[in-house]
Amino acid sequence: MADRKPPEDALSNLRRRVDAARGTDGSQNAPPPQSPASLALRYGGEFGAAVIVGALLGYGADYLLHSQPWGIVIGMGLGFAAGVVNVVRVARSYNQANPVDPNAPSIPDDEED
Amino acid sequence: MADDPIEQFHIEPIAEFNLAGWDASFTNASLAMVGGVAVAALFFNWAMKPAAMVPGRAQVVAEGAHDFIRGMLKDGAGEEGVQKFFPLVFTLFLFIFLSNMLSMFPGFFGVHHVFAPTSQIVITAMLALLVFFTVIIVGFAKNGLKFFKVFAPSGVPIYILWFVIIIEIISFFSRPLSHAVRLWANILAGHILLKVFAGFVPALASLGLIGILGASLPLAMTVALYGLEFLVAFLQAYVFAILTCIYLNDALHPGH
Repeated sequence: MADRKPPEDALSNLRRRVDAARGTDGSQNAPPPQSPASLALRYGGEFGAAVIVGALLGYGADYLLHSQPWGIVIGMGLGFAAGVVNVVRVARSYNQANPVDPNAPSIPDDEED
Repeated sequence: MADDPIEQFHIEPIAEFNLAGWDASFTNASLAMVGGVAVAALFFNWAMKPAAMVPGRAQVVAEGAHDFIRGMLKDGAGEEGVQKFFPLVFTLFLFIFLSNMLSMFPGFFGVHHVFAPTSQIVITAMLALLVFFTVIIVGFAKNGLKFFKVFAPSGVPIYILWFVIIIEIISFFSRPLSHAVRLWANILAGHILLKVFAGFVPALASLGLIGILGASLPLAMTVALYGLEFLVAFLQAYVFAILTCIYLNDALHPGH
């Protein structure tokens, strides 16, 4: 009992051992598995939201500049482009979170050449 | 009445109240939101009351929730984000999570059902706009005009930059929309689906013996869907919180 460590020291020792047992730097954030349906809704939502916002911004420009219908036409086109950018961004972050297994068997090439 | 899958979303005033000509009644939606907040506040007060070095079961749950959101925010927005925004993200997550979970109760004490506040677009839109304006205000307060770099990714050639900036602006403004709609659509669709399948059960069971046998199929489906909806209730709160972290990161570190 005489040479008991001060509690702070014992605590940090415990924290280190717990972190080592977890095998990470203390972050226990394994994201829950996303169902394919929620992933699909995510992609669709990102794309649709950008189209709607693009069209709305174009409509606002029309309203201010009295340039019907060019604002909404151009705005919707830009919205489509922004939607594609959004989808690519989501797909990239998804691929980063779920990297492809490098040891996975490659898909056979059925191209006839 | 019980067969109408939309009926559960009707807003009914509990206490009529007018504020300068605006209808500000306390409704069943308000009650459900107060319920969600109250459960969170009471649980955390009760669980953390011992504040023991070796935590009990309730304290492990409370500390686990704290560490879960803390880790999420640290991954998304770094240590600075944790210091600045932890209360915001933790509150948002707990409010959405507990509102979703409470709305899974089919009803008790003569209450027809527990209202699902996150199935109202006005509520999810306010939550998403709260995050959106937090990003803008904190971004400008911290970075000044450098916050505009969020619209201009580095390494883009100058002759295409004007086009990229327009695209990025639209993309930026589409965030609160997709942020709000995702939560709203998931909860709304889930609750309608549950009611539709549950409504088949009494309709089939009234047809006699064959009907009762047939009614076991939608009953099994309802049970399975209930399990799925519990997952969705957590997952959508998680997704809302993690997107909040990603957006808040832009406020602290503009420029991709």
